Amino acid sequence: MIFQIIKKEVQEILRDGRFKISFFIVLFLLVASVFITSKQYSSINEQYDSAEKNERTVWESQGAKNPHSAAHFGNYVFKPKLPLSLLDQGVDKYTGISIFLEAHNRNQAQYSTATDQTALSRFGELTPDFILFFIIPLIIILVGYNSFTKEIEGRTFYIIKSQGVDGWKLVIGKWIAALIPTLIITTLLFLIAGIILSNIKGFGVFSWSSFGILYLIYLIYYFIFTNVILLISSISKKSGIALVSSLTFWVLACFIAPKIASNIADSKYPYPTQQEFSENIAKEKSEGLDGHNPWNQKSKELEEKVLKEHNVNSVNDLPFNYSAYRMQKSEEYQAEIYAKHYKKLKNQFKKQSSIYKTLAVISPFLPARFLSMSIANTDYQSHINFSDAAEDYRIKTQAFLNGNTEKNSKIGERYVASADTWKDLPRFEYTPASLSEKLNENTSNFVILFLWFSVTGGLLFLTNKNY
Amino acid sequence: MIKTTNLTKKYGDFIALKNLNLEIKQGEIFCLLGANGAGKSTTINLLLNFIAPTSGQAFINDTDVVKNAKKTKSFLTYIPENLMLYPTLSAVENLDYFLGIGGGKFYKPELEAFLEEAGLQKEAHHKRIQFFSKGMRQKVGIALAIAKDAKVLLLDEPTSGLDPKSSNEFGELLKKMRKNNVAILMATHDIFRAKEIGTHIGIMKQGELKHSFATDQISLQDLEKLYLETMNLNEV
Repeated sequence: MIFQIIKKEVQEILRDGRFKISFFIVLFLLVASVFITSKQYSSINEQYDSAEKNERTVWESQGAKNPHSAAHFGNYVFKPKLPLSLLDQGVDKYTGISIFLEAHNRNQAQYSTATDQTALSRFGELTPDFILFFIIPLIIILVGYNSFTKEIEGRTFYIIKSQGVDGWKLVIGKWIAALIPTLIITTLLFLIAGIILSNIKGFGVFSWSSFGILYLIYLIYYFIFTNVILLISSISKKSGIALVSSLTFWVLACFIAPKIASNIADSKYPYPTQQEFSENIAKEKSEGLDGHNPWNQKSKELEEKVLKEHNVNSVNDLPFNYSAYRMQKSEEYQAEIYAKHYKKLKNQFKKQSSIYKTLAVISPFLPARFLSMSIANTDYQSHINFSDAAEDYRIKTQAFLNGNTEKNSKIGERYVASADTWKDLPRFEYTPASLSEKLNENTSNFVILFLWFSVTGGLLFLTNKNY
Repeated sequence: MIKTTNLTKKYGDFIALKNLNLEIKQGEIFCLLGANGAGKSTTINLLLNFIAPTSGQAFINDTDVVKNAKKTKSFLTYIPENLMLYPTLSAVENLDYFLGIGGGKFYKPELEAFLEEAGLQKEAHHKRIQFFSKGMRQKVGIALAIAKDAKVLLLDEPTSGLDPKSSNEFGELLKKMRKNNVAILMATHDIFRAKEIGTHIGIMKQGELKHSFATDQISLQDLEKLYLETMNLNEV
């Protein structure tokens, strides 16, 4: 019986000219978006690879110099473009792609893609995530808005009822039929993306399991949309009303709810301004140990402490270069200040995230989007992880450079490290969070998504139980 | 085959059907006559379990239509005044679908044979319903009854709006169904057609069955007179 219902619904859909046109437009947009994004992806990764190699070459070719000069010379680390960003670019466009690492300062990521674009880019780009999140739900609306109302308007409703059809079978049949075009489009997109990603070598590890989970998340999102659209159709008296109500739901879920969530989170837990943030750090830094200033109060205290520990009267009697030691202690102190202030930012981010997670109940778009960005490693948490990894590397680099001076020279001596020294600095490596970590981080989003699916599905069945 | 006992339907204070006691056996065609709002369609809707009775019971093939709605629907076919089918599907596809949702599975040649038996020309079998006349659509409804091997046919003014030729053809089809022992209940305004094809006639007014008799007990003229008297229109 269910098969008969699916067959008939699909026949009707296929004979609807409006659907054919829309389907091919979406299919075209989809292929175009994957093509454009994969080109961008390859190009960015080539640039990344080239920039990383050049940067290392520049670092290693500094020649003989004082390690602290090398610390100020600094080096860049680059954020890798990860494979699943082909499907969901998340916040990548707005976050910087490289961080300049230097002594004494923790710099923020810079050169975001958005800054290089024209004002028109604010209207959005033709990316797979745009089609997956915004356009495909429109296909579901187009196919499903009159799924039940057409039976009332066409008066076929009475013949169906007189045949003794089970309401739940009718719902399942219509539900599957309404999903078939979406399943075809989505599966096609993922197949093309999977083939492209599994064939691009050298740029991050492509994980089929993450890819599969991402596919599953989109499917659940579409299941929810199908539930809601069919529910609207089953309780509406006219197709026109069902269409307007369905489009209203689309606007509310995909556009209004994210704005509401964002505004609430921002107003409840605002971030400090860039100026405030920098001033607070500068103030604390000025009150602490300054590696360049031996007459600073804190420097004097450190000197006294070290002399006492080593039971000597002068820094010249210490078995290491005290100046480099003080520089390292100053770095550690400044790193602590940065860690403290960035922790505040992260706490604020966590509070905002918790608001988002709570507000995810108002729209299935929110949990689906958070999950998608997270699995694709393009969410803000992934950017924080990269930024933290870069800061760890900066701290280790400073320790390496100061340690080199501390071990190989004496205070007052003009020390020049050999040209080969810089090669000994380990390369920057950034490993994104694993899939299991991502899934653990997003348990509540999964729960909310399943709740949306269960509640809307339950309502759909209850409404049509006695069809 | 069709039986009602004190079947009553009220909407607040309004009585749409009052204590209807009716029995239609296999091979009988019971034509219900009456003005609009007399309770004819309410009776059919109650037998279909589209609406619940306020009191009384209705049975199809000795099965309670309320308690065993799904089972009773497997015995019957319903053809409303204007049988609407899916316009973008062909006659064969429509038949296949409606039989399918009732649990039936037929192959295309069988479906074509049912349509042919119902009098639908071969060239129309695979045409979209949107190009069908009302008479052709009613034939698809009859094909549904034939395919289901329906024991009961419930017809709600099926000949209204049909041209005389189509109406006559439809009447002949009903007679054929009757010979196959189908119990038919037909609500109609058409006294002539009721006298011609019915085995029994009932006249309803304001939710009550005022008269019920075998067709051969009354002439067409007397039937018309009785109908008008019942409707209080004998002075016209």
